[in-house]
Amino acid sequence: MTIAFATVQLLLLLPMSWFAGRSNSSRTARHRASYAMLAAGVLAATQLVWRAFDLPGASWSAAWLSMEDPHSWVPAFSLITCLIGFAAIALSPISETRPTTFRRILLLVLVALLFLVIRHPIGLAVLWGASALITWLELRDLKQQRGIAKVFAIYHLPSAVAFALGAILLLSGQHAAGVVLVLVGIGIREAVLPLHSWFPPFVQHAPMGLVVAFFAPQLGVYAHLELLRDALPHELAHGVAAVGAVTAVVAAALGLAQTNGRRALAFLIMSQTGLVAFGLDTSSPIAQIGALLTWQVIGVATAGFAMTLASLQARRGSLSLTSPAGSFTRTPRMAVAFLFMGFASVGLPLTIGFVAEDLLVQGSVDEFPVLAFALILATALNGVSVMRAFFMLFSGSSKHIGESDLTKREAGTLTLVMAVLLLAGLFPAGTVRRLEHVTGEPGHAVAHAPPRAQE
Amino acid sequence: MESVIQVMVVGIVGFPALAVLALGLRAWVYHPWSERTTVAIVGFGFSASVTVCAITVAWLLHADVSEVRVPLGSWFSAGHYSFDWNLIADRLSIPFATFSAVLLGLVASFSRRYLHREPGFARFYLLLAIFGTAVQFVVLAGSLDLVFLGWELVGVTSALLIAFFHERRGPVEHGLRAFVTYRLCDVGLLAAGVALHFMVGTSDVGPSTGGPWAGFVVPSTWAGASIVGLLILWASIGKAAQLPFSGWLPRAMEGPTPSSAVFYGALSIHLGPYLLLRSESILQASWLAAGAVIAVGALTALHATFVGRTQSDIKSALAYASMTQVGLIYVEIGLGFRYLAVAHIVGHAAIRTLQILRSPSLLHDHHHLEQAMGRQLPRTGGHLERLVPQAFQPWLYRVALERGGFDAVLKDWAVAPALRFLSRIDGWDQAWVDYLTKPSAAGERRSRHDEVRP
Repeated sequence: MTIAFATVQLLLLLPMSWFAGRSNSSRTARHRASYAMLAAGVLAATQLVWRAFDLPGASWSAAWLSMEDPHSWVPAFSLITCLIGFAAIALSPISETRPTTFRRILLLVLVALLFLVIRHPIGLAVLWGASALITWLELRDLKQQRGIAKVFAIYHLPSAVAFALGAILLLSGQHAAGVVLVLVGIGIREAVLPLHSWFPPFVQHAPMGLVVAFFAPQLGVYAHLELLRDALPHELAHGVAAVGAVTAVVAAALGLAQTNGRRALAFLIMSQTGLVAFGLDTSSPIAQIGALLTWQVIGVATAGFAMTLASLQARRGSLSLTSPAGSFTRTPRMAVAFLFMGFASVGLPLTIGFVAEDLLVQGSVDEFPVLAFALILATALNGVSVMRAFFMLFSGSSKHIGESDLTKREAGTLTLVMAVLLLAGLFPAGTVRRLEHVTGEPGHAVAHAPPRAQE
Repeated sequence: MESVIQVMVVGIVGFPALAVLALGLRAWVYHPWSERTTVAIVGFGFSASVTVCAITVAWLLHADVSEVRVPLGSWFSAGHYSFDWNLIADRLSIPFATFSAVLLGLVASFSRRYLHREPGFARFYLLLAIFGTAVQFVVLAGSLDLVFLGWELVGVTSALLIAFFHERRGPVEHGLRAFVTYRLCDVGLLAAGVALHFMVGTSDVGPSTGGPWAGFVVPSTWAGASIVGLLILWASIGKAAQLPFSGWLPRAMEGPTPSSAVFYGALSIHLGPYLLLRSESILQASWLAAGAVIAVGALTALHATFVGRTQSDIKSALAYASMTQVGLIYVEIGLGFRYLAVAHIVGHAAIRTLQILRSPSLLHDHHHLEQAMGRQLPRTGGHLERLVPQAFQPWLYRVALERGGFDAVLKDWAVAPALRFLSRIDGWDQAWVDYLTKPSAAGERRSRHDEVRP
């Protein structure tokens, strides 16, 4: 049934992306793309309800297409991906987003939705490469900052090749080499230290909607879950977890030294991604649940946070963090949304981010006591980054250039995102229980490794 | 009857939380309540909180019960780990909760006139209601996990209220500084909770062991108790403005006077000692942690009393006076004088709130007193001049004027080098990207150089 819904989404989003790209103006393109994304979201929600109530055909299988049935949690994650896509489109400022960009954002979201459904390694590799190609094409078309496309290609061509080769090797039984290559591919995509240098300039210069659509669904995390879970040897898993923790702390610290808002956002996202990488490779199911939740929180909260930043930049131009810029009086709702989503992404109490990071730390302390402490420090530093950005971008001066506050469209979208974060945080028990099933589900059959030694 | 009291205990937190909801939702849809309604909502929240506190106290005394536990179930759980909503109303928490609700209600009432027609009127009350809810969470928390939840919210509201006058640069910078201090110290609290889960399997308040109130379950080893005790001390010194993290407090007085009074004269600054009192079982098990509490408190009291005497504005002087008293409360807690510490906290909070609220009319008060006495007010603090040798006094004055040099040391030896180091690493990263994007740039530079060479 999941495959059937994904096919309908494909049939909806593919022509709509073409239709949006053919629009005369960015405003029209955004309008069309928003409705397309909304329809895809409704489909994902229908799929969720269908599955929850076990309606006729819910268990219909299409193993021939997907190699195996998609995971039970795919409908929920599809809905979250649609929410991310909707935020990326509806909040994209037309000043930096062309009709073609909206088309590519829709295509990136479509790739992310298909990525959740397809379980065949070669299929994943094709989609992996496709998302990088779509993004590169957009970067190549940028009139300014042409160098970004080059840096992106330098990093993502090896990533796509490594991922594809790794997938082929995994299928052909060369597990050790396959695992390492897939890890390299994922490491580059997830901007893990020291493979991260493409990411800060990408966030700084690319259209923010594209950044969110490319990065927020976190295909690397899904690929890790699908291909590598329970497949990494113990020592390698520990090594990857350590790299994740180091990325989390170092990126959080570097975020404090930034003088540009978008660059600071890049390091905040990197730090959060490091947390996910750390959690996924611990052997504790609790930490893994925390990592999965952090994955979703990064997607939703960071999408909202990043798009609010883009909206502010469209109004103001500069996002310098060197001196306070004021304008809280002019844009109070934008400031509140910025602060709320920033804090939600770094674990504000009563939001789902708090639940995610609590589980991550509590679950990992048995296995990595020192690294768990480092994660706490990273979270604290990320909080400081968010507050610093808030103060520098929205207060400290009475000057303004007549910025307007959120429009109805922006306010509605941000309200939806904030409500999801808050309600999911207030009532997280069901989500956590369902994720327990995810970590309890056996890993993929492609890559087998000796079972990890119990601590 | 106990089940009714359990509902009442939930109401202590619940009523201010409802006020937050009523103000927050309305403000988000761009239709804030009128000043009168705003005050009525917040006032109702805190008044109802005081009422249920009073009923709980009366029942505890009448039924001769030392504590009521309110298990509200699990927020979320995974595997062996569960985050439970457990509140506890006992001889420590209920006096604090009552006192907090009374002070918050009074400050809410006072601010109605003080902030009348202030552009941030609704924002102030919203933040005050969030703060009130968070304080009650910390006070009534039945586990360190729940303490952390309220603790974080207190930090956020505190920083936002320091930066209340957001169009000036000073308050914003000071708000950020306070927030940085809070976050660094919050690391200690979260780490303490994690360490407790790791060592004893729970961070809940354990069963009463004969003391006046129950404390957290003590790790079985001395080393474990010392680690947890020191982490909790670390967490507490941020909020309580103890050395070496005390520099933010005088700067925090940039916020509106009512919030300064309730945060830094009364409630926020005493949450550190409150946490130590709740953790007394752990401090008793480790002389190292108890000794550290005494040392931090004594050093802060000495530092603050000298520095406070050189301050030239009333709010800074009051900030250092608060710091001195909280330092003394730390010493009392470290020495095990629990009831003295509780009485000291309540007395100090009440008098300091009054002093800070009256500080804007200080000159008027002085004139009034002098007119009543018919002469100038006598000089105070002369006993220190008699105690300190005369040759030593100028040096001490200079050191005190520079606030003991702590700010300079922290800025020049810790923060600035760290930021320089991070900027350098970031610079290398950017240089690498430049190298990748503009490989021809270096070549171009070289060829230009060649062109001008004779």
